[in-house]
Amino acid sequence: MSDFIPDDAIRVVEHTADWALRVRGRDLTELFRYAAAGVARLLVGEQLDEVPLDTRRQLKLEAYDAEGLLVDWLGELAYWAERDGLVFPVVERLEVTPNALVGAVCGGRAPELQKHIKAVTYHDLAIREVDGALEVTIVFDV
Amino acid sequence: MKPGDFNRLTPYLYEIPASHRPDMRVPARFYADAELLELALEDKSLDQLVNSATLPGIVAYALAMPDIHQGYGFPIGGVVATRMPDGVISPGGVGYDINCGVRLLGTHLSRQDVSPWLDELATQLQRNCPHGVGRGGEIRLNRRQIEEVVRLGARWALERGYAIEEDLEHTEENGCVPGADPTRISARAYERAHDQLGTLGAGNHFIEVDVVDEIFDETAAAPMGLFPGQIVVQIHCGSRGFGHQICTDYVAAFQRVIHRYNIQLPDRELVCAPLNSPEGQDYLAAMKGAANFAFANRQVLTHLARRSFTDVLAGRVEDHSVYQVYDIAHNMAKIEEHEVNGRRMQLCVHRKGATRAFGPGSPVLPEAYRDIGQPVLVPGSMGTASWVLVGTEGSMAQTFGSTCHGAGRVMSRSRAKKEVRGSELRQKLEGRGIRVRAGSLAGLAEEAPQAYKDVDRVIEVVHGAGIARKVARLVPVAVVKG
Repeated sequence: MSDFIPDDAIRVVEHTADWALRVRGRDLTELFRYAAAGVARLLVGEQLDEVPLDTRRQLKLEAYDAEGLLVDWLGELAYWAERDGLVFPVVERLEVTPNALVGAVCGGRAPELQKHIKAVTYHDLAIREVDGALEVTIVFDV
Repeated sequence: MKPGDFNRLTPYLYEIPASHRPDMRVPARFYADAELLELALEDKSLDQLVNSATLPGIVAYALAMPDIHQGYGFPIGGVVATRMPDGVISPGGVGYDINCGVRLLGTHLSRQDVSPWLDELATQLQRNCPHGVGRGGEIRLNRRQIEEVVRLGARWALERGYAIEEDLEHTEENGCVPGADPTRISARAYERAHDQLGTLGAGNHFIEVDVVDEIFDETAAAPMGLFPGQIVVQIHCGSRGFGHQICTDYVAAFQRVIHRYNIQLPDRELVCAPLNSPEGQDYLAAMKGAANFAFANRQVLTHLARRSFTDVLAGRVEDHSVYQVYDIAHNMAKIEEHEVNGRRMQLCVHRKGATRAFGPGSPVLPEAYRDIGQPVLVPGSMGTASWVLVGTEGSMAQTFGSTCHGAGRVMSRSRAKKEVRGSELRQKLEGRGIRVRAGSLAGLAEEAPQAYKDVDRVIEVVHGAGIARKVARLVPVAVVKG
């Protein structure tokens, strides 16, 4: 799976209390991959390149709908960061349907976590088609 | 939201009528002065307040305190009361950090007594109190032990020598909300909690050493033992990953069942279930467990703060003992009785970034405070004042016994990070005599004073509106940030 991420795929959106990202992708799989990359950036900031790629994790998720699946997917990444100090900048494999996901990520222990993600919220969470791509704004409780 | 969408009812109270949007079940009211009103109009907080007025079973009005700012689902500073038994309970209306709250500890020391050792004290507090992103503590608990914390709250800490009985007497709910059920909590929540009891966490959580700058109400200050120049300590934190996971689990679970109850909502984070439904009862029992974990967490941190005072000041000052003034929650849903339109009703009062502020005479208050009203602890932004208030008859009549919880953010974290350098901020604060011990300089920048409203102004509004009364103003001399 390509590591390339277009400049406009992940944007930080102003949010008074917490942290929000606007993510764009051509399809659900790409949207979820870029969202995962957004979480990695949020967790380690500019130290992303210092994260070793020596740990692999696989996961299978099912959810009520695509938004719920996105919350669960990013929630897993935040959970591994809190519990094990692990950050996953690389998505090696990802297949997403609106109700299920199968994926594999690669990363390692971050030298220092910049941010603690308490939770991924459902606040105004809706995956929409905008200008021929899928777009979603995700608010993280930090 | 724009001017014209709301009316001014009193000098500090505004109302958005229920006719503003067809899905509002009650009006929405918020407290502000002219400047705080302008700030509230800058983000989506008032729209979020209107959203919260759509919850089924809501009574009277949705409320917001003057420290209102944009959150998720509810605005931060929001108060919503729903009727029992068929009104709803909303996990997002409590927030992920269940029973995030503030504890105030008093000492018998003046600033002069402690001045020579303040640097050492700040360092020792930082050393003894685990803080920062992903940092666990010394206490490791298995599931069975965490279940005990869930049932006992701060009493768990008392039984293990981390508290004295007076600490519990001076804690909201005596440090244990009855009705917590450990079986309603997921395995992942227990896993996240295993090393988090007695830890501060990150973000806006802190331990701060303050000096009592001014007393405004001597009658109320006396039973709290507060005097001008006194050294006091604030602890601000919550239920850590345990509470975050419980909220996450129930927000997700409620998404799947909301249609069963035919509830339509403008924001999925407001997801809710009737209080008398199995889902509503399960969440309530789990939330109480997280609340009890948070009370125990602040209690263990109190023990570690006491240890720090002993480490640094034993033999150097006459009396280095630390007593508890009070401990209050500002993210919680509680079953309480209030008067609505002249009728006593049992309600579920959601406070998200709002503090319970019961007036004088409330039977749930400790005897020492029953005549003065419940102590309310309002931390300001880093480097600015904090306040001790008391609840009033006005808060009982107007706000379901609630008032503000802090200064309230006004600048996004991303903007604060761009505009403020953590190292410069630390230097500036140190230049003003405030010792700063921070886990992360970037995190420090996000919490810069300019990212927050003026806490003194917020206090003037709640005092002026009669929903709390000023007792004492505190100023910081040392801060340990997560």
